[in-house]
Amino acid sequence: MGKLALTSLAVAVLVLTGCSQKSPEVDMTKSSGDTKGAAVNDGMSALQKLIASLEANSKKIYFDFDKYNIRKDQQANIDANAALFNSAEAKSFSIKVEGNCDEFGTDEYNYALGLKRAKSVKDGLVAKGMVADRITVVSYGESNPACSEHNKDCWAQNRRAEFKVLP
Amino acid sequence: MLKKMIVWLCTALFVFAADATVEVVKKIDVLPKVAVQDASAKTIDSELRRSFYKLIANDLRVSSHFNVLDEYLQSSYEGGPLENFLADKKVDMIVRFNIVQDTANLAVNVKLINARTGSTTFEKAYNLSDKKRYPFLAHRVVIDVNDQTGSPSIAWMEQSVIFAKYTDAKKSEIVISDYTLNYQKVMVSGGLNVFPKWANKEQSAFFYTSYSGAEPMVYKFDLRSGSRSSIISSPGMIVCSDVSQDGNKLLLTMAPKDQPDIYLYDLRTKKIQKITEYSGIDVNGNFIDNDTRIAFVSDRLGNPDIFAQGLNDKSFEKLVYHGKNKNSISTYDNYIVYSSREADSEFGRNTFNLYLISTKTDYLRQLTATGENLYPRFAKDPDTIMFIKQFGNQSALGIIRLSANKTYQFALKTGKLQSLDW
Repeated sequence: MGKLALTSLAVAVLVLTGCSQKSPEVDMTKSSGDTKGAAVNDGMSALQKLIASLEANSKKIYFDFDKYNIRKDQQANIDANAALFNSAEAKSFSIKVEGNCDEFGTDEYNYALGLKRAKSVKDGLVAKGMVADRITVVSYGESNPACSEHNKDCWAQNRRAEFKVLP
Repeated sequence: MLKKMIVWLCTALFVFAADATVEVVKKIDVLPKVAVQDASAKTIDSELRRSFYKLIANDLRVSSHFNVLDEYLQSSYEGGPLENFLADKKVDMIVRFNIVQDTANLAVNVKLINARTGSTTFEKAYNLSDKKRYPFLAHRVVIDVNDQTGSPSIAWMEQSVIFAKYTDAKKSEIVISDYTLNYQKVMVSGGLNVFPKWANKEQSAFFYTSYSGAEPMVYKFDLRSGSRSSIISSPGMIVCSDVSQDGNKLLLTMAPKDQPDIYLYDLRTKKIQKITEYSGIDVNGNFIDNDTRIAFVSDRLGNPDIFAQGLNDKSFEKLVYHGKNKNSISTYDNYIVYSSREADSEFGRNTFNLYLISTKTDYLRQLTATGENLYPRFAKDPDTIMFIKQFGNQSALGIIRLSANKTYQFALKTGKLQSLDW
């Protein structure tokens, strides 16, 4: 049935554009080997519980509108995170810093802004003694809102960096 | 009656109210008045007949070359003295269609009739083997009708649009559609898939960024073979911003050292060359001047702004001196269209407007006046621009017809538009 649909589409495109095409869908989750987020449940291993605990105890870093510098009021959270990730129980893990933005802008600039926020946090952690090679950064732009309402408090919650602990 | 009048053109299709372009037009030419007649048999699905009528009528409107009679008319296909003249409607032309088959395949016969003489000036039979793609067939009909009248080409209506839409946190789909969004086919789903970009003028393949692996990765999806291949990955972020005219080189925004810069990637040799060098943000590289230079967005002067530099030259120049916060661009020859953040506030909804400039002259034209207007992209011809209109968690696809100074919007029913190309 699927082959029939694909063949039909290919013929249709040929009629309209003179270009033979077929267009099967791709489900990226089937071929990616993505790992699921760590949720606390009884089936978790000790390692998974430790990772979940470290992530839960890390402190999100918030940013001003359209900025990627670390605010003075966020420096204490950087310090706390550096201490947490440098602790004996966490020292063997890598840390991924995820940069996020508010909903304004859907373009590359927003993704780059999220990346610069993650990079600022990484630099802050390194300044507090973390080894740079342990830290990776990634930007999710506006794609990963912590809050989906449309008000200033919500937008402020979305301008953030948060942490994933990787074994 | 005044021959010349000043108008503020606000036109919208379907759901949304108009978004006026700001430029003032001196006069409206008298456009030929056209009626659309449905000559299909009663046995044909009435919903399909109505939908086809709407597509034809709306395409004629969006062409900006016709004054379309806003009335669904039925007729016989052969027509008679009344049907071929529509004297009471005072029309100049009649587009008559007859859907003769509505199983899996679709066949439509179309006539263009001179309503002053009652004579048929154009007739053609269309066949489509996948009925779901009937919006493209309607666009083809109107392109042919438009060509028959000697009006400037509207071949852009046939371009396939590819867009990414958010469906949930860290989840998005890549969809191919027609420009009205009446036809949609999900091509990539599962996880976060963003920034689709056509790989060539034939639209036979596209690039996109996937977050499914350890690092963001650019993939190429070939529609002819149905195969997907990985191109290049980067820590932090990676986006295929533009493709060279010959399809062999990509402008990428990537961050191998956690720093977003613009790189040139040769698909044949797999050689990568760093183009921009700045400790802040450099993104959105677009080829200009016959692929010898790039225009790009950078915050190197404090706010996001538009700059240009050569592919082998680190010196740069600021391209736009209007406004202070420009964050998305698209180029066509010597023209650049960009979105500019006008209301720079963290406490309310932001306003983003679109502007058009020439890299060779002082030409500057404001294209939108209200709301969030983002991600502008030129069509095949520089007279038509597509963009994203955001309304909170909802989106519409916007079309600007520059010479007619009109804007049209087509609502996305579910999801929020992230990016597009066509």
